[in-house]
Amino acid sequence: MDFTRLEINRRMALLTSATIAANVINPMRAFAQETPRKGGVFNVHYGAEQRQLNPSIQASTGVYIIGGKIQENLVDLDANGQPVGVLAESWEATPDGKTVTFKLRKGVTWHDGKPFTSDDVAFTAMNMWKKILNYGSTLQLFLTAVDTPDPQTAIFRYERPMPLSLLLRALPDLGYVSAKHLYESGDIRQNPTNLAPVGTGPFKFVKYERGQYIIADRNPDYWRPNAPYLDRIVWKVITDRAAAAAQMEAGELHYSPFSGLTISDMARLGKDKRFIVSTKGNEGNARTNTIEFNFRRKELSDIRVRRAIAHAINVPFFIENFLGDFAKLGTGPIPSTSTDFYPGPNTPQYPYDKAKAIALLDEAGFKATGGNRFTLKLLPAPWGEDISLWSTFIQQSLGEVGIQVDIVRNDGGGFLKQVYDDHAFDLATGWHQYRNDPAVSTTVWYRSGQPKGAPWTNQWGWEDKTVDGTIDSALTELDPAKRKALYAQFVKEVNTELPVWMPIEQIFVTVITAKARNHSNTPRWGSTSWHDLWLTA
Amino acid sequence: MDAVKRYFRSPAAVIGLILLLLVIAMAVSAGFLYPRDPLALAGRPLIWPFSNPRFLLGTDNSGRDIAAQIFYGARISLLIGGVATAIAILIGILVGAFAGYYGGWVDNVLMRITEAFQTLPNFVLLLVLVAVFGSTLTTVTIAVGVVSWPAPARLTRAEFLSLRNREFVQAGKTLGMKDVQLILGEILPNALPPVIVYASVVMAVAILLESALAFLRLSDPNVASWGNLIGLGRDVLRVQWYVSAIPGIAILVTVLAVSLVGQGLNDALNPRLKGR
Repeated sequence: MDFTRLEINRRMALLTSATIAANVINPMRAFAQETPRKGGVFNVHYGAEQRQLNPSIQASTGVYIIGGKIQENLVDLDANGQPVGVLAESWEATPDGKTVTFKLRKGVTWHDGKPFTSDDVAFTAMNMWKKILNYGSTLQLFLTAVDTPDPQTAIFRYERPMPLSLLLRALPDLGYVSAKHLYESGDIRQNPTNLAPVGTGPFKFVKYERGQYIIADRNPDYWRPNAPYLDRIVWKVITDRAAAAAQMEAGELHYSPFSGLTISDMARLGKDKRFIVSTKGNEGNARTNTIEFNFRRKELSDIRVRRAIAHAINVPFFIENFLGDFAKLGTGPIPSTSTDFYPGPNTPQYPYDKAKAIALLDEAGFKATGGNRFTLKLLPAPWGEDISLWSTFIQQSLGEVGIQVDIVRNDGGGFLKQVYDDHAFDLATGWHQYRNDPAVSTTVWYRSGQPKGAPWTNQWGWEDKTVDGTIDSALTELDPAKRKALYAQFVKEVNTELPVWMPIEQIFVTVITAKARNHSNTPRWGSTSWHDLWLTA
Repeated sequence: MDAVKRYFRSPAAVIGLILLLLVIAMAVSAGFLYPRDPLALAGRPLIWPFSNPRFLLGTDNSGRDIAAQIFYGARISLLIGGVATAIAILIGILVGAFAGYYGGWVDNVLMRITEAFQTLPNFVLLLVLVAVFGSTLTTVTIAVGVVSWPAPARLTRAEFLSLRNREFVQAGKTLGMKDVQLILGEILPNALPPVIVYASVVMAVAILLESALAFLRLSDPNVASWGNLIGLGRDVLRVQWYVSAIPGIAILVTVLAVSLVGQGLNDALNPRLKGR
């Protein structure tokens, strides 16, 4: 291929102008004096259903975007990214890091009228966060008990030290509380409440019509005074991204979160005054594009093959021509946006080198017969246009080195089941989300012993005692400098072994109506409760 | 030979034949003109048609040459159209011939089954089949064939009903010919012309069905088909509309060609239209 004489990239030009437009239209400009208006319906684009709405048992932006308005977390992040109490009012840890005490908010009730108490917190922590929640199972690995001396106090007891800063960074995502009285009996995963959630949040669940819409109404008994402003939120299930863009323009949708529209439509709407297109409010959701290897395939269990695959893909070309300004070259599981933990680019990397890829495959003994060495099944996640483009690019690139790739498309639920439960894939690709600290949702991609079926965790059939040791040491290290060093060590180890390759970094893009106020004002705004969101007339 | 002459007397039929030959030529020449894999990365994504001599019809949003995909897509469309039609016509003739020849309870049973298939919209049935058996090229082709057989079956049955009491059939029976000999050797050749004409309708519908499936991204994503290109182009429809429009024109031309040829055959083979 000859890419040396590429002309000026039209798409790049589009994206650049879109970014400029987004920067000029500052969503926060001088709206402080406006009086919030009560009422209104907020229509949200919901791209891929996950057969699950309870954020206590599935950590995912696709769950928070709905469940996060209905159920609440102990702690969330404020505008500056600092922990701020929601259901917890205050907290303190003992110096040895083994006990963390939360004082809970008084006078909070569940949507069904029952009071919220420390029993709910203890039940959720021990039975959901520790046992089921996809990232919680690693985070709370050493949680032994939650004591409840009174209804407003929950004391978390750990076998090994738990850094308080880590816990407070994790709880915004991994600290959603469910009602004990609704989950006490039966299998928690199969509980019908998971699809008709009951919480303490500003909006009450009304109806879920599969494949069509989800509705939640204003909770009149919400504990924050005068909140929320909106009467109703409607999530419309629209899998066709071009149709969603058309609905945004027709005024039938107000908000498309998490890069839900196509790259070309986001660039186009960015130039339209009626919309704000920005990465603001998504700082806490940095993501990397993945290539996940199934070690049950003997070819992929060979480290030379995994490295060859990484070397065979021209990532800078892909970013420049397909993703433009929305992405940059990644260097592993901890993205460069993480100022506290980014280890720098000096870890093992796999730059584009087709000759080396071919040499590695030959060396591994997979000779090309009739141009094809072996065939791999690639499962792309259905969220985001970039994943679809990336999977095609992987197919094209690996074809060049003699690996035939068959793409198998699924809906959201089907993808999660086939990859993380049935393990019926050779390669999978989707997003890894980095949430402020590697122990929240990153190390689970590598730590062995993840429960089967937990999405976005190590389901590769790969186990490495050294990596497990590094992850566990970092999880319980109280000294920030030592933790950072341990995570640098971790990145070095996993980039060497390469069970998952994360070569692209992105921040989600939000498309929202210019009529919205108090939006995008925290680092994980799309996932938060929206108690202060309002719409101008 | 009269039939051939009659066929070439109709300008529409001739145009249809030329277009169809053109599509066939595209399918045949794809390998010579575009020796590389049509799904391989060819260059920068979303180059407009006629702006770069290397990519006459531009590139799609995955950086693949649209012209190459159109040429290779002709193969897929003709393959699916041809094989699925063959399957549908074969099942249809078998069911229709037996139902029409024997009548009675055989006819009743076979026609109730046919009606059961006919009451289901064939696209919905196709979606179910693809959801259950997966979407590889083979399963899609067979599925399209399987949902298309009821109409040819009814047509064959009607022909058999009118032919089975004719003198030549009665004579054959008196001569002691077996049922199979009568069905295949005597009645079928006389019942075939309308069925062959109808096959062109089935073929046009089969091509459209596969394209519709691919538009919903439910066809085999690992082959270069026109429908796949349209489905992919949906993401950039508002700005780079040509990604969907070019394969759309290809489908339009092919379906039009097949229909015109079918109409021409119908006129040529229909004895009542002689001398018009």
